[in-house]
Amino acid sequence: MLDIQNVTKVFGKDTVNEHTALDDLSLHLDKGEFVTIVGSNGAGKSTLFNAICGTFFSDSGHISLDGADITYMPEHKRSKMIGRVFQDPMKGTSPNLTIEENIALAYARSKHGPLGFALNKRDLKIFRDALADFDMGLEDRMKTKVGLLSGGQRQVVTLLMCTVVPPKLLLLDEHTAALDPATSEKIMKITNDMIRKNNLTTLMITHNINSALKTGTRTIMMDSGSIILDISGEERDKMSLNELLDLYTRRSKKVFDNDRMLLGTE
Amino acid sequence: MVLILGSLELGMIYGLLALGIFITFRILNIPDLTCEGSFTLGLSLSAALTRVGHPFLGMIAGIIGGMAAGGVTGFLQTRCKIHPILAGILVMSGLYPINLLILGGSPNLAIMNSGTIFKYAGAFLGNEGAKIAVSLIFTGITTIALAMFFKTHTGLAIRATGDNEDMVRASSINADGMKAAALSIGNGVIALCGAVIAQYQNYADINSGAGTLVLGLASVIIGEVIIFRRDLTLSLIAAVVGSIVYRFIIALAMKLPFFDASYLKLVSAVIVAVALSIPAIKARARLARIKKEGGRYA
Ligand SMILES: Nc1ncnc2c1ncn2[C@@H]1O[C@H](COP(=O)(O)OP(=O)(O)O)[C@@H](O)[C@H]1O
Ligand SMILES: [Mg+2]
Repeated sequence: MLDIQNVTKVFGKDTVNEHTALDDLSLHLDKGEFVTIVGSNGAGKSTLFNAICGTFFSDSGHISLDGADITYMPEHKRSKMIGRVFQDPMKGTSPNLTIEENIALAYARSKHGPLGFALNKRDLKIFRDALADFDMGLEDRMKTKVGLLSGGQRQVVTLLMCTVVPPKLLLLDEHTAALDPATSEKIMKITNDMIRKNNLTTLMITHNINSALKTGTRTIMMDSGSIILDISGEERDKMSLNELLDLYTRRSKKVFDNDRMLLGTE
Repeated sequence: MVLILGSLELGMIYGLLALGIFITFRILNIPDLTCEGSFTLGLSLSAALTRVGHPFLGMIAGIIGGMAAGGVTGFLQTRCKIHPILAGILVMSGLYPINLLILGGSPNLAIMNSGTIFKYAGAFLGNEGAKIAVSLIFTGITTIALAMFFKTHTGLAIRATGDNEDMVRASSINADGMKAAALSIGNGVIALCGAVIAQYQNYADINSGAGTLVLGLASVIIGEVIIFRRDLTLSLIAAVVGSIVYRFIIALAMKLPFFDASYLKLVSAVIVAVALSIPAIKARARLARIKKEGGRYA
């Protein structure tokens, strides 16, 4: 489904700030795989997502999605196939548009064309039902401006916007890190349900190492722009938190350091 | 009576300017100076074509010309990465000789003796009736068309682009395209305003565009004070209402013995400056209050 081959990205080339954020990185995902990504601050996790989304073109290497080479495809064209949720709840929604308008923005073009009316009764019912599934009372506030919602509520709207037309690839970048623990847990559950229901191919960066091992089907660990660990199946099922951190220290020769990292049990 | 009717007519026609400025300033968040050129472009095209017997074509040419001007500004901003304000100034500046050319090389063009839309309508409705009706029709239809447009998918996408560009960039919407489209539509409406004004006053002047940005902003802001904007359709109506109220204020001010027409620009500028500084003033007041209370417990 997703195939990343030898991608390198250097920031500030030929300056004192030269920094290799992605270092000859390769990664392959099969359809329906749900991969969690962990790694310390600055490991290049978000940069990897930026490369996949086309925020910039990588310096070398190739990226293909669902059989199509997207290495040089512009960002807005790729994003038809990719859903992305950021850590910052402000990033994924438009504050002056209502909940229904935000979702319609993600949904309606695929249905009614660029000059079709974005909101109609049938679509609104689809949105309302989908929101009701999340059990956060948002289905009764469809005409509320998103700017008035809490961070958790905004993330739910963003998640729905990303999946209302199921994407080929879903990218979640620490999307619960800015939320309080209870909300975070709730959003994580919603995320899981949504991914399972739609059988979405997913990459999820998480600061919670414990949940990285427990959610999804495969875990990779990044350091200095490379993948230093890639586990799945039985090996992953048996892995304990401490073993994982040990492995990290041995392979990266440093202590795992992520200021948002949570080792806590859920 | 003349004063009331005149203000109402001018208010409605300049309501078009307010609608255009609303699109570029409130929806896109860009103080777009293209308007000073596109207004005159619409005015010149309309006057020139009316003079040769095509008043309707004049309106259409005005809209198309304005949209093209806005499109160029959009291109400069998005593709050439030129600062939005500078992009507007470049197009405004570049339009000056073009407008002069359209006016036949002289800085103004009178069309007293040519058949304008107002005169055609006057044959059925009488002079004053025609002025009211034509202004109402142009502004009314434009307001309705814009209200509908901003409910379409592209309309929503344009609003989101002004609201949260990062999000739009990360979604499948072409943010640059949306910006250019909004600038094009906004300037098309502003040029239509110029086109209607030319036929309303039977006269076009190369300098008519000067100060239109501030004028439009003042109308938008007055409208927002009168009609608290809750949704977009209401905001559009508010811009037109603001323009009408603005004309009444001016008509009254002109009655004052010491008031000169040239003060109008100062009045508009003050209205805009004060209204736009309110958030900052509020923030300062809040800070001062916190300081005072902090001091009390220190
Ligand atoms: N646009 C950019 N310009 C320059 N440096 C960048 C840019 N984006 C990321 N970096 C650098 O690349 C490294 C990896 O960043 P990032 O991928 O955000 O890390 P993380 O794994 O914490 O998400 C960091 O050192 C960061 O400073
Ligand atoms: Mg990151």
